[in-house]
Amino acid sequence: MGSSTILVVGGGISGITAAIEAAEMETEVILVEKEPTLGGRVGQLRYYFPKLCPPTCGLEINYKRIKANPHLTIYTMTDVLDINGEPGNYRVKLRKRPRYVNENCTACGECEKVCEGEVVSEYDFGLGKRKAIYLPSPMAFPLRYVLDKNALASGDLERITSACKYNAIDPDMKEEVFEVEVGAIIWATGWKLYDASKLDNLGYGKFANVITNMQMERMASPWGPTGGNIIRPSDGTTPQRVAFVQCAGSRDENHLPYCSYICCLASLKHSLYLAEKSPDTESLIFYIDIRTPGRYEKFLRRAQNEAKINFIKGKVAKIEEDPETKDLIVTAEDTISGKKVNERVNMVVLAMGMQPSIAGENIPGLPVDEYGFVRENEGIIPVGCAKKPLDVMTSNETATGAVIKALQIIKRA
Amino acid sequence: MSNEVLKVDADLSAVKEIQSVGGDTVKKCYQCATCSSVCPLSPDEAPFPRKQMILAQWGFRDRLISDPSVWLCHQCGDCTKYCPRNARPGDVLASLRLLVTKELVPFKFMHTFYSHLWGLPILILIALAFILPVMFLAFKGVPDLTNPISFPYNPEINYKIAFMELPARVVMIDLLFLPLAAFVVIIIANAVSKMWNMYLDYYKVPVAYRYGFATVIKNYLGPAIREILAHSRFEKCGANSWRANPHKMLLYAFIILFITTGTVFVLADILGMHTPWNPFTHPVKWLGNIGGILLLYGVISLITGRNKAVLENSLRTAYPDAFLLWLILFVGITGFLIEIARIVPVFYNYVGFVYIAHIICVFLLFLAIPYSKFSHLIYRTTAVVFDLYYKDILKKQGS
Repeated sequence: MGSSTILVVGGGISGITAAIEAAEMETEVILVEKEPTLGGRVGQLRYYFPKLCPPTCGLEINYKRIKANPHLTIYTMTDVLDINGEPGNYRVKLRKRPRYVNENCTACGECEKVCEGEVVSEYDFGLGKRKAIYLPSPMAFPLRYVLDKNALASGDLERITSACKYNAIDPDMKEEVFEVEVGAIIWATGWKLYDASKLDNLGYGKFANVITNMQMERMASPWGPTGGNIIRPSDGTTPQRVAFVQCAGSRDENHLPYCSYICCLASLKHSLYLAEKSPDTESLIFYIDIRTPGRYEKFLRRAQNEAKINFIKGKVAKIEEDPETKDLIVTAEDTISGKKVNERVNMVVLAMGMQPSIAGENIPGLPVDEYGFVRENEGIIPVGCAKKPLDVMTSNETATGAVIKALQIIKRA
Repeated sequence: MSNEVLKVDADLSAVKEIQSVGGDTVKKCYQCATCSSVCPLSPDEAPFPRKQMILAQWGFRDRLISDPSVWLCHQCGDCTKYCPRNARPGDVLASLRLLVTKELVPFKFMHTFYSHLWGLPILILIALAFILPVMFLAFKGVPDLTNPISFPYNPEINYKIAFMELPARVVMIDLLFLPLAAFVVIIIANAVSKMWNMYLDYYKVPVAYRYGFATVIKNYLGPAIREILAHSRFEKCGANSWRANPHKMLLYAFIILFITTGTVFVLADILGMHTPWNPFTHPVKWLGNIGGILLLYGVISLITGRNKAVLENSLRTAYPDAFLLWLILFVGITGFLIEIARIVPVFYNYVGFVYIAHIICVFLLFLAIPYSKFSHLIYRTTAVVFDLYYKDILKKQGS
């Protein structure tokens, strides 16, 4: 007799979808998320595909479904250590890191006000700072603060503890390692951005106004570090001319040899962000091929109509900074005219490719390919960007599809 | 343009040829143009090597012969290092230079022998087919190679031609190399003229700006040679900047050895001050030895440096590259061996063999000018002259 519980690893849009769909079939589901909140990459975006909805739109409905469902157990700040067993009978070892904030927390925010310790925010891709005690996302689920002990300034802990009226701070919490028995595993750990500093000819990390596409999303987000203003990191001014470098790290045997699927669409979307703020802002999209799969061809037409985009067919391979103005000179060969262009722009957005979140990690029992994408293996079903680079809509399709597979596995076992 | 019907004839034989001489990765290129942007030598108006890569994929011989960019590339390897497809544009352009070299000259089979290892024994046989009859003629029969008094330093056979008195070995050298040099000069001059006219057509240079030979030489050859002596283009290389210095030394070595040979020709053949000269006291020998040492330094640095670059994947050494380097190395080694054999008594009896080996190497090096990678000596110079000329007339047209 096997276990009839489904484990979903990863609480982004794919994982949430899979977990909810399965739990609503009255199957017991355990959802595990590494971060302190659900929401994943979608939560970091300004708008997401296909309809350019704000993330609140898709996530809040799902959070409501989660709250109403008695079959779903969620562990945040938890990762998978190893997987043993076979379809119908898996024993999965989990590690839950301490949050140091208990369920009494109401997210009133008094603690954050008195906290002095600060670190660079990873959630904002280095564009802003966060306190040692912080709400991991404006739409955090669970809606609870987290304490990062390493970031505490001296005296912070006392100040925070006394500021909390609900007795929610618990600095003695310990890391827990425990096992769960499940019948099937849906793997939805998603993606991370490829490290832009590895592209040593594109100036990321060296020139202030060279940013990544995810930094662009954070700036455009109303809850982001700039309150929704798209500005130059060097001086806070609004860029009038922005270059987008497509295939930054993707389709490149020195980096990610595959196409990351979303970067062309993302840059088109970013051109719309710029046009939404100020219709005169010029976007220069340097591309090898504009890839707008399937019906997204329509989106290309929309971007062409609504934003001021100058498409240049040629990959950018050299970026120089004007030290005075911090403008950037972007060099590419326009392969249609056969001449080089050296365009002066105010900001450069690197359309970075996606890498599986677990790339470089080794989780015993989890089959992965050479890039870190998870391979389907009987009772382990990868979905979303853990499986391959995808957009939100298709990720959700893989997630719902995975649920029926997982149910079949449980039933057969 | 968009309504024009363009008929394209891909030349598969050219593609195969490119692939067989170091350009086997050409088909991997997907035309992203990273190469043209990272290339430190690629000009804004006519960037390379992206365009040359697609011309090569289709095997367009004519377009490639007509394009000076092929020669303006110095195979720095920056393009190869950054190429997202590992299509190795730097190495492909080296193979295109070999293709162009072949297209420009008659007796193309010679080029084939120079480009493949299996051709090496044939080349040696060809060299011997010229060297041995001339030797037998000059030495009036078959000399004894194990006896230096019989060959090459036979004191008895001398020829009186006009006012000159020439020993047998000098007659042998002159009979071999003067016609060879003339042959090389004629076919190279013909090739350069063909190449220049194609460049003019390719760049659609107006007739008014098509200067005569003398004007071009007068106005542009000087600056081109100054630039080449300084290696100013080569030094812009990123990934393989180490090559500029040894290559420059090798070039200087060839210049010094050319001057030495010219001086010897005048002093010995014409003025009758015959060799061998004492290497310790004779100033021309000093010059020759300095040239020889520089040559060995340059070529050995290039061989070892290339091996390192191959490990770093920024450069590949195809057979034609290796062949030329090793040929130059052997010219240097055999040259010094003659000198050593002559001085060191135990080796003295081997002088004859080393002498023949050296002549084979030099013979093959001469012939390498039209038929191997060595052609870049002439063709790259031509392309640099054209580049300076073209930039100048663009300026004149603009003003």
